[in-house]
Amino acid sequence: MLDYLRLEIRRTLRDTGFVIGGIAMPVMMYLLFTNLGGDESGWKTGAMVGMAAYGAVGSALNTGGGVAEDRAIGWLRQLRVTPMPPRQVVLGRALTGSVTVLPAIVAVLAAGGLVNGVRLAVWQWAAIAVLLWLGSVPFTLLGLGNGHRLTGQTTGVANMVCNLGLAVLGGLWFPVALFPDWLRTLSAYTPTNRFAQLGGSVAAGHAPTAGAVLVLGVWLLLFGSYAVLSYRRHAGNV
Amino acid sequence: MTATETAVAFTGAVKTFGAVRAVDGIDTEIAPGETVALLGRNGAGKSTTISLLLGLIEPDAGTVRLFGAPPRRSVTAGRVGAMLQEARAVPRVTVRELVTFVAGRYPAPLPVAEALELAGITELAGRRVDRLSGGQTQRVRFAVALAGNPALIVLDEPTAALDVEARHAFWASMRGYARRGHTVLFSTHHLEEADAFADRILVVDRGRIVADGTGEQLRRSAGGSLVALDLAGRTPEGLELLPGVRSVEVRGGRARLRTDDSDATVIALAGLGAIRGLEVAPASLDDAFLALTSGKSHRSDEPGRSGRSDEPSASRQTPSPLPEAV
Repeated sequence: MLDYLRLEIRRTLRDTGFVIGGIAMPVMMYLLFTNLGGDESGWKTGAMVGMAAYGAVGSALNTGGGVAEDRAIGWLRQLRVTPMPPRQVVLGRALTGSVTVLPAIVAVLAAGGLVNGVRLAVWQWAAIAVLLWLGSVPFTLLGLGNGHRLTGQTTGVANMVCNLGLAVLGGLWFPVALFPDWLRTLSAYTPTNRFAQLGGSVAAGHAPTAGAVLVLGVWLLLFGSYAVLSYRRHAGNV
Repeated sequence: MTATETAVAFTGAVKTFGAVRAVDGIDTEIAPGETVALLGRNGAGKSTTISLLLGLIEPDAGTVRLFGAPPRRSVTAGRVGAMLQEARAVPRVTVRELVTFVAGRYPAPLPVAEALELAGITELAGRRVDRLSGGQTQRVRFAVALAGNPALIVLDEPTAALDVEARHAFWASMRGYARRGHTVLFSTHHLEEADAFADRILVVDRGRIVADGTGEQLRRSAGGSLVALDLAGRTPEGLELLPGVRSVEVRGGRARLRTDDSDATVIALAGLGAIRGLEVAPASLDDAFLALTSGKSHRSDEPGRSGRSDEPSASRQTPSPLPEAV
């Protein structure tokens, strides 16, 4: 199991597309957005959390792309004819996803602290990282659902649509404050908005709201069911 | 578990996909240590048979057993290694990483260096799997199949898309593994491969085993020899009634008689004064294969042809001659 995790993490980190799209892009966008716009430090902190969340969502969804690829090349099928139980394969993939979101989170937070001079207490840095890490689980499940259901190419497209759509709607790129009222209301129900809010609350010095946890919890259940259904439906022809 | 238990046993196994009976009642047993070829044209049911064997799909009827247990259990116990068809290289891992990982799943694997050597890829160990040639990739997949030192190794069309040289290198590796006393089952649509590398050939056609024996037995069953002669204006009528003759085929003014007894056939032809440009040759395995599988045969009068609809269960006993039905 650990061997499998190690193997898949290695494969993910050797994926140039992942390293550029999942780690370098959020960092660059963060630095770009914060240094083009106004100079207020609140935006630098807010955007840092937003972009770290965006990077984490992208990396989490990327796990699903990996699954679709593995299905297409017959790697999952090959694993099925080794003694490794299928549920370990699924679990191993989910855990891979949860590990590979870390670089994006850490990289964006580092850019905030080191380049943009964001100042937070040590517990705040730690809490933001951990909350963003845990909060990315629903997105890993969404990616796995796509990966088990769709072909390699459509998974890529579906993941990108989910990623960009949810990022923009959730206010990861632009502050929700700039949205019209109706969009702001809608945004409050997106998983990405509440996901970033976990970190945002901590940056503002208080605990995440019950609303954020509740909405994310509902999405966790939805995406989790989606992943399980996709896996069951296609388990026979991995 | 005794030493005499069978490695593979199919009992009336059936698998349908929609209206297609991909596997239509297969009965056979494979003993430990045998190297067996599953020979058939594309679409004959070879890959479905292998998927059933590995427990990747369940039969609609009948049973499949590996080492006396359901396939999934034998796979989980690490008694099986497989090289699947149409599997491509796993991207972004090195050969050593991949083989080490797979070996680590098995209870008593081969040392990785030994697996690499058997597959002939020691010098590729540090290379990325997705940056190898087709032949090299195929041997990496072979190393993956044998890494766990499984008692049974299953190779689905292992040499498809390989050039002649890569093919030779591959079979040399395969023989090395089989010599260690392991059971090997491979599928192929190359007659020469089945003939050269298997102890026993199962000919599959339309989801059934239509013949079971050594290459030599297959050749004999198809009619031991071919007798060819110029018709020189004669009609071919009546030639099929000559002693030994099993079938007659006329092409370009020459008659080709497939016969069980070429001496008797030639003497009878001489009696008719029909010998013109006579040629007597042993039947090739190609002829045997065409005779055994339907579709490409030119014969109209083969005895036993009506037996096609019979159950092919006569082929169950391992070293026995070919079933009557063929």
